[in-house]
Amino acid sequence: MKKGQVTITITIGLMILILTAVIFVQFKTINQTDITSLENMREDELRTEINNYKQKIEEIAKEIEDTDGKIAEYEKVINTDKEASELLVAELEQQNNILGKNDVKGSGVIVTLTDTRAQKISGEDLRALLNELKLAGAEAISINGQRIVYDSYIVDIGSTYISVNGERIVSPYEVKAIGNTTYLESGLSKKQYGYIDTKLEEGKDVVLVRKDNITINKYTADLNFEYAT
Amino acid sequence: MIAIAIIVGCILGALIGMNVPNISYTYSGYLAIAIIAALDSVFGGITSVLKGNFDLKVFISGFFGNAILSMLLTWLGVKLNVDIYLAAIVVFVGRMFTNLSIIRRYYIDKWSKKVIKEETKNEDEKKTMGEN
Repeated sequence: MKKGQVTITITIGLMILILTAVIFVQFKTINQTDITSLENMREDELRTEINNYKQKIEEIAKEIEDTDGKIAEYEKVINTDKEASELLVAELEQQNNILGKNDVKGSGVIVTLTDTRAQKISGEDLRALLNELKLAGAEAISINGQRIVYDSYIVDIGSTYISVNGERIVSPYEVKAIGNTTYLESGLSKKQYGYIDTKLEEGKDVVLVRKDNITINKYTADLNFEYAT
Repeated sequence: MIAIAIIVGCILGALIGMNVPNISYTYSGYLAIAIIAALDSVFGGITSVLKGNFDLKVFISGFFGNAILSMLLTWLGVKLNVDIYLAAIVVFVGRMFTNLSIIRRYYIDKWSKKVIKEETKNEDEKKTMGEN
């Protein structure tokens, strides 16, 4: 074998070796690129992608801002609504208190009128007492649990019992009144011409008690207008 | 002799290629163009062997020179934002087809000459038999 031929053989073998090695490396790289495509992607491709993502993030941030603004607006509206409704509820409560549709509590006086053998308590006595209490600034009044409201009435039914709000009540008549305790008490117990003195003089049993914590029940019947509008 | 060298080179090259760590995808484009250039040189070498004007120096310089040049051109193309590697691929693959067609023609010619020879031989034999 010639020396030149050996050189040629070795050279060509080496070249083929390099070529196949490179080809296989390339095959392998391309094969595995799918798995780790992101890592091996070209730099500019990655840059473009990053830019795209940045843009998307900016857009989304803008959207979030918009949405936050809307939420703030809605919350404002909700708050005003809430305030308004709270105000309305408070007003309604007050009106119900005035109308007598709620149980109310407060300081006031309890006047107890009891029938004696000599003298019976009449409806007139109770009406006079109510008048006196109202004059003294009573805010809520009840007679034996019957709340006195704007259309309450007190009438004698024969001589046997008294009807308040259509309910019959009997002695002892317990009249509760909430208001300024001092005014109520002094209004009723004026000397000589005061209610209590007058009634005591007539021989009727009248007892007045001051109390800090009186509960007056609500008016239980309906309060509806049928003809007035 | 050379055939054995080629087979051994192929096997060893495959084994080495399988066990070498991956290259980054960024450079695989350059590698691909280098492979195309090298393959072109190989086919050109085969053609020149068939034509009888094979020169080892030309072959080696073409093999490595074309590969390196094509890689450089590709790099330049990336820098200039022009796809120069497309031109390289067109040239190399076109030349590969030309060389392949030359190789094909050479073997077809050889084969058809052989067939014609055999036919004439057969005819000669028939003639001789007929005369007998």
